[in-house]
Amino acid sequence: MATDPWKSPADLFDEAAGIISPSIFADRDIYKLELERVFSKSWLFIAHETHIPKTGDYFATHMAEDPVVAVRQKDGSVRVFMNQCRHRGMKICRTDGGNAKAFTCTYHGWAYDIGGDLVSVPLEEKSFVGLDKSQWGARQARVESYKGLIFATWNMEAPCLSDYLGDAAFYLDAVLDRSAAGTEVIGGITKWVIPCNWKLAAEQFCSDMYHGLFSHGSIFTAASIPPSSLNTGRQFRAARGGHGTGFFVRSVPEMKITNAGERVAGYDPVADEKAAVARLGTRGGLFVQHMTIFPSFSFFAGFNSLRVWHPRGPDKVEVWAFTIVEKDASAATKEQLRISSTRTFSPAGTWEQDDGENWVEIQRVLRGHEARRTSFNIQMGMGRDYGTDPDLPGSKRQALSEDAARGFYAHWLTLMTQPDKAYAKGGNPLQAAE
Amino acid sequence: MPQNNVATNTQLPKAIVSPELQQEIEQFLYFEASLLDDHLIADWMSLMAADIRYFMPLRTNRGPRERDREFSGSRDIAYFDESKASLDLRLRKLQTGLAWAEEPPSRTRHMVTNVRITALANPTEYEVKSAFLLYRNRAETQTDIFAGERIDGLRRIESVAGFEIFKRHIHLDQSTLLANNLSIFF
Repeated sequence: MATDPWKSPADLFDEAAGIISPSIFADRDIYKLELERVFSKSWLFIAHETHIPKTGDYFATHMAEDPVVAVRQKDGSVRVFMNQCRHRGMKICRTDGGNAKAFTCTYHGWAYDIGGDLVSVPLEEKSFVGLDKSQWGARQARVESYKGLIFATWNMEAPCLSDYLGDAAFYLDAVLDRSAAGTEVIGGITKWVIPCNWKLAAEQFCSDMYHGLFSHGSIFTAASIPPSSLNTGRQFRAARGGHGTGFFVRSVPEMKITNAGERVAGYDPVADEKAAVARLGTRGGLFVQHMTIFPSFSFFAGFNSLRVWHPRGPDKVEVWAFTIVEKDASAATKEQLRISSTRTFSPAGTWEQDDGENWVEIQRVLRGHEARRTSFNIQMGMGRDYGTDPDLPGSKRQALSEDAARGFYAHWLTLMTQPDKAYAKGGNPLQAAE
Repeated sequence: MPQNNVATNTQLPKAIVSPELQQEIEQFLYFEASLLDDHLIADWMSLMAADIRYFMPLRTNRGPRERDREFSGSRDIAYFDESKASLDLRLRKLQTGLAWAEEPPSRTRHMVTNVRITALANPTEYEVKSAFLLYRNRAETQTDIFAGERIDGLRRIESVAGFEIFKRHIHLDQSTLLANNLSIFF
């Protein structure tokens, strides 16, 4: 069992005082514990249902640092299993996606069917005595979906996905449930590496409505984005689970045009939003909503960029982003969304590129011994009652708050201070998981 | 995308362009690169035609049967998929002085080589393929190196530069982008 690399949990995050330790963004021992206590315990985003519509369609991704493959089965279900051969651990899938009939390890040729079950071992009769292939399939994760999004977890004792999302699902619906037809992906996963801790990104999407005006000042000016009145700002902190979102209750339907730099012929921003408002009420027309489902799945509504922050060590994150659109949207709406999403929230995006700049510089500062001992202020919005909004359960009438960020770190700390039961008992984590 | 084991009878183009045209187009590409490296972005932007498509698709690892899906499609999400209007928006963003990913600006060096020119049906237009190596260094120690191919459409016009660019397709030789952003132009 790992030893906790801190004296008291409050040394990492003290919610009552509103203080956070920079070490949580830089310490390698803390990162190792995060893989065990946060990522292996939580539901992690895998893919959108329409990434793998047909039997045998597969999508290779990661659950934190662990490579996995998500595959559509004959019965329509999805399996997610380790991309690791049970013989010597070579990847059994070395491509990013496509359609497969089997996954054959290129090291010694062990072959797994699309369900991850071991079906063929070369020269089995001559080389093994009584090999029980049924015991040597790829390790399976637990899989559930919510409105088109596939999640998986290694935690067999975790609550069901619906309970895990809890009261945050209402806000997730602002991007997933704008039409009864549901959503589909626009092709292409944008993948890039930012040398920063994963929490800098996940927390910002969870809570930070404060940075926009300054970090994104250049595009706000260039695209003539009108300033928002602060009294339209809201922030939601999930009752439990560390999820959060911030947004303005303010319709700005022309965002997809001003930020793309042009209007696709036939695109009607008002009609586009009207249908969603009729279905979802206030949530149909939120402005600059961004959200994190703990720990590492985030989205920016409006441009509909969804992404996972795959952790890659304490000082690196791999971003995998894609874009969704309502299945029944017009061709013009889909094209408007495609160009506005590409031009705002990709590594070249006019919004995104400035976020990466901040996080990289912060991470570089945290190489310093003293910098890691110089505490951060996370007090915004503490000690004031901003009131609630009956249309938006759980939300406070204040966007400029770090309430959701405190919720994110409070849940993170709860997980970090709960040792893995299997490790605590000295048991076999593989058996515990299965 | 050709398979390794199948000869595609690729040959030298039948009509190799004249040395004069080769030199003229290469000099244009070097001039264009110097504008970017000298941070004369507005001048560089003026070389883009009104009908420019500035496009950098995503790139994936695919199996042998699906190698033709290596690049994301024309109507998929891309790193860049820009028109004249959206490039102008990027220029206005840079000109605010608040575009922190390029403030202070990156130091870049665009190296352009392996230039192959094909005359198009329209006698004023050429397809120009080239290889590039783009070095970017910014802030204190951040360094990125990008390599790839550009497939340009050049149109001869009456101007000091002699050409405008109506197509730039950039094939980056990375699948997972190894840089924190693409705040520079290729």
